[in-house]
Amino acid sequence: MEEKFKEKYFEISAENLKRFINEIIADNYEVIAPANKDGDVFYGRINRFEDANLDVLLPKMSYKEFLLPGTETLFEYSFSGVETGIKDGLEAVNGANQKRIIFGGRPCDAGAGPIMEKVFNWDYKDEFFNERFKNLTIVSIACEKPDNYCFCTEMQLSPESSYGSDILLKKAGDKYFATVTSEKGLNLVKLRQSLFNEAGNDKIPADKDWKKIFEIEKTKSFLDKNFEHNYYQERFLSCIGCGVCTYTCPTCHCFDIQDEGNLREGRRIRNWDSCQFGIFTLHTSGHNPRVTQGDRYRQRLMHKFKIYSEKFDKYLCVGCGRCSRNCPEDIDIKEVAKDLAELA
Amino acid sequence: MAKTKTDEKLQKIAKDLLESKEISLLIGYAGGSNPGRMRPFFITKPEETEKLSFGKYAVQDLAVFLKKPEVKKFGKIGIVVKGCDEKAVNALIQEFQISRDDVKIIGVECNGVIRQNLADKGETKVSESTVYDKCLICEEHTPVLYDFIVESEEPELAVSGNVKPYADIEKLEAMSAVEKNAFWAKEFDKCIKCYACRQACPLCYCSRCIVEKNMPQWIDTNSEETGNAQWNLIRAYHLSGRCIGCGECERACPVNIPLMLINEKMARDVYKLFGYKSGKDIDAKPVFGVFAESDFNDFIK
Repeated sequence: MEEKFKEKYFEISAENLKRFINEIIADNYEVIAPANKDGDVFYGRINRFEDANLDVLLPKMSYKEFLLPGTETLFEYSFSGVETGIKDGLEAVNGANQKRIIFGGRPCDAGAGPIMEKVFNWDYKDEFFNERFKNLTIVSIACEKPDNYCFCTEMQLSPESSYGSDILLKKAGDKYFATVTSEKGLNLVKLRQSLFNEAGNDKIPADKDWKKIFEIEKTKSFLDKNFEHNYYQERFLSCIGCGVCTYTCPTCHCFDIQDEGNLREGRRIRNWDSCQFGIFTLHTSGHNPRVTQGDRYRQRLMHKFKIYSEKFDKYLCVGCGRCSRNCPEDIDIKEVAKDLAELA
Repeated sequence: MAKTKTDEKLQKIAKDLLESKEISLLIGYAGGSNPGRMRPFFITKPEETEKLSFGKYAVQDLAVFLKKPEVKKFGKIGIVVKGCDEKAVNALIQEFQISRDDVKIIGVECNGVIRQNLADKGETKVSESTVYDKCLICEEHTPVLYDFIVESEEPELAVSGNVKPYADIEKLEAMSAVEKNAFWAKEFDKCIKCYACRQACPLCYCSRCIVEKNMPQWIDTNSEETGNAQWNLIRAYHLSGRCIGCGECERACPVNIPLMLINEKMARDVYKLFGYKSGKDIDAKPVFGVFAESDFNDFIK
């Protein structure tokens, strides 16, 4: 086990934060931040501080792609006469994210990293994920105004949680307080230490008293007792199985392994997959244990709020609310989780 | 929310249909997760019709549910449709996916729905700069086919012509092939292969989509250049002459690919070449289901 890092605290003025970001960009760091694109906000590479949109609550997609790309090559193969060549996909991943910073994300997105890490190291150690996760530095900004789709507080986090962030910034007037929670975070500060002033823990503004509107343990207790329930079939008649909930989710991590190639060369890849797709559980025999969209949405609820939490000490959801905001048919998972808690 | 006359009339029709057992399921709209949203609402009991509503936030095309096996099981279905959505019902009838006898069409007059991303930010006004492009070229404010019609209380959409719908189509038409390719390569690069465009489409009803056929694997599964181009092109061709322009694919797309530019361009070309518009007439033969000697055939050299 790694030695536990002792948190460090700093202050940085808004002006210096801007300088800091611009200077590390000049040092060839790739800074990924919320940025305006196509009429919405997405995480994307910024070329200067001003390109970041730090006013937005959350970008439309999470930054999961930097930990688990939509398509990742596991290995490549080639044939030439009797010779066979194999190239390990890991070679291309070595050192990935070493100079990549996620800047201006929120505590919910940051919380997703360690939650996924548990799955990717539960029995098999996923070297691809681990290499990317180990190197990625995450600088989050605490939320001041969560919206009605947010429910991180119900999901054991909070709008001001530093869980999963290497540095958490809290805005206070024209300056930020920085809580550094890891060696990676401290190394980032050290790049321009002079822009930061050390501060005592006592100077960090106290977290607000964020209120919960339901207890997730009650949702789980409903799920524990009700595998079969009309709620699923009735409520999710309106689910079209588009998978947007899972693809925009920062913690959904299912993937599908596929081969692509021809007689001479090819590769084995893994692509994002979704439990909302009909063929996700289709057996070779033709049997499908999850027939209806009700069965499939139930699976998503079960995995998030029951199955994962029985294996690990967290839930598989950070309460970012993306699945609700982006659902074309307006299925609101917070409302669903609350409904189930009330039915328990 | 206060009940409007539209809501009252809708509720009465729905209640009568369910009470008389002419239908066993009604698909309509109800209030959604925020004041600027509505959501699909499924009703099987007459007493549940109280929540039924319709208005400027009713963005979903409910015809998408007619392809769902769970919904088909109900047998006779009543469905609330705007003019654009109703064309999808017609196309499904034309393509023998549903029978006219099994569906009661409750048409609602519509003068435009507010773009969801604007409504989410609090937009409440229906105007040419707040509605979808499809609303600006709408020819079916009153659905072309219905069993019941509910009049709109919204004022007619004033169109000054200052907002040009699908303006990028003309820009694209003026581009060279290389430029067009660059434009679409950049757009398709965003694709994450979630296939939400397919799922949200009322006319993408194949029980096993071409991308799911893997013996052999026709379409590359990756969400990189090859796989994304193949998928988006095949989707475009499968919808040509069939797409009724509801725009649900584009609305569902989580990465904002302007899919309606493709669909609308294909629809315009089909109209120009074959004089056919999809979903206008349930007795018409689908354009790719017929051959006429007068068909455009200059491409045969």
